[in-house]
Amino acid sequence: MASKPIYIMKRKNRSLLWFLVPISLYLLIFFLYPMAYDIYIGFFDYKLGGQALYVGIKNYASLLKDSQYLGSLITTLIYVTFAVLVEAVLGMVIALLLDRESRAMNLVRTVILVPTVFTPLVAGLVWKALYHPDLGMVTYYLRAIGLNIGRGLTVERSSALLSVMIVDIWEWTPLVVIVLLSGLKGLPTEPYEAAALDGASALRTFFQITLPLLRPTVVVALLIRTLDALKVFDTIWAITGGGPGTSTTVANLRIYEVGMQNLKIGYAASLSNVLLILGIVVGVLFVQSLFREKEAQA
Amino acid sequence: MTGIASGGPLSRAVRGSLRTVAIVILMCFVLFPVLWLLTTSISARINMFKIPPVLFSRPTAENFAYIFRQMPVLMWTRNSLIISAGTMLLSLVIGVPAGYAFSRVRFAGKRALLMGILLTRAVPTIVIIMPFRIIMKGFGILGTQLAVILIDTVYNAAFTFWLLSGTFESIPLDIEEAAWIDGCTPVQTFYRIAIPLSKPGLVTAALFAFIFSWNDFLFAMSLTSPNSATLPIGMLSTYGILQQGWTYMAAMGIVAIVPVVILSLLLQKYYVSGLTFGGVK
Repeated sequence: MASKPIYIMKRKNRSLLWFLVPISLYLLIFFLYPMAYDIYIGFFDYKLGGQALYVGIKNYASLLKDSQYLGSLITTLIYVTFAVLVEAVLGMVIALLLDRESRAMNLVRTVILVPTVFTPLVAGLVWKALYHPDLGMVTYYLRAIGLNIGRGLTVERSSALLSVMIVDIWEWTPLVVIVLLSGLKGLPTEPYEAAALDGASALRTFFQITLPLLRPTVVVALLIRTLDALKVFDTIWAITGGGPGTSTTVANLRIYEVGMQNLKIGYAASLSNVLLILGIVVGVLFVQSLFREKEAQA
Repeated sequence: MTGIASGGPLSRAVRGSLRTVAIVILMCFVLFPVLWLLTTSISARINMFKIPPVLFSRPTAENFAYIFRQMPVLMWTRNSLIISAGTMLLSLVIGVPAGYAFSRVRFAGKRALLMGILLTRAVPTIVIIMPFRIIMKGFGILGTQLAVILIDTVYNAAFTFWLLSGTFESIPLDIEEAAWIDGCTPVQTFYRIAIPLSKPGLVTAALFAFIFSWNDFLFAMSLTSPNSATLPIGMLSTYGILQQGWTYMAAMGIVAIVPVVILSLLLQKYYVSGLTFGGVK
């Protein structure tokens, strides 16, 4: 790292620390306080409008036996793992396809941005219409090519989760593509020249040069997607509302039902705190990889 | 970079046409729902019940006329605008100076603070929404646009902060030192020198705060009342009239997405930079 100019060292500069006060206070009041409240109320039996009764870890003991909640956690894990993996693999293939300079490619790179800016609820309702069991266009053409989709993708328990994951993949694969393309642009050319001289095949070049060099970028993309996929709510809410049965009820939907509809605030808080721990673990990994990426660039 | 293009058994021409086919399939998958929304919004209701389904038909404006006549679309749009603009302003006001201080001062616990701020992105939205509702009720602002602005800003201020601290770091220190020697205080240096030099970062941060709030559904659903409802909330209510086809819903969808699609395409460079978390400068 280049030696820092004296400017930074001047004591006078410390007055800038006041600039950190507003954001710190803001996050203290509107972020840390609600989170602390959530952790606190998780130890209470509290139904909105009623008395809060301290119950210790009882909420956590009951969630271990709450098959609906545990089921929703499993659904979340399947959703996140499958959607993110497909987005990563597909994103990599597409990034390699698009990684060249031409007018057509620029246009393609622009067009694929559209799903990422689509209001998720709108995307959900559009796909809900496309999946409609009688009138949906996707339903019609899947049947037309002879696929047996039963009463419809979103109606059959076996395919409902897949149908909402497809929407995630539609909306967010382009994000992975864009992140990976920016990584590909920054790769050095020398290793490829050497590989070409050695007559290495395209596949070998990819696995032995591109993938290792691109690893930090891939990790950032995977973690961004994992964090956001853990938050999924709008599209599933719009398309299936968690059904049929509980086949698409991810943890967020279940917690929403318990907290906002059944008004069991204390119990819902304990359920969401399990998710919080999961989020923070992935989040710490994400921030660390972001730091590494930044240091590598510097 | 054309790593994958060298060597291999396939001839160049075959490979080229395979690539074209793959890209065309990709474009169809990406654009089909967008095209469907567009054509459905200007299609007569009756077309929705045709089998096989039709994608193109004679265009009509009746769906837009209907939703603007029968639903408070203008109010929803106004609320969406207020919430998005409010979030944008508040995020910049608290995030930008903080990003500057962060890039210019060394202090104990710096990394821990950064970690803490960035972790806001990791906290599942569902965790914060219920306590936040209760707190807003205590403040007496549950059901107002302000409540949504306050929570959207939690998620955006952190991003603004990160993005801008990166932007400020890339400004050469000599420029600011010169200003400082000329007698500017650090705060003056900030708004006279650093701010004007950081336009790309500022545009990206503003754009993302706006899009985030515009697209939000869960927070708006949990914190607004019918009078402060945003476009996504309004759109959900149009699906209730499914029996009449989806054309009204599609028209609502167009109203909801056109502003952000246009903004992101006009400011594409900044949008891409934000998508990659500041990775593309």
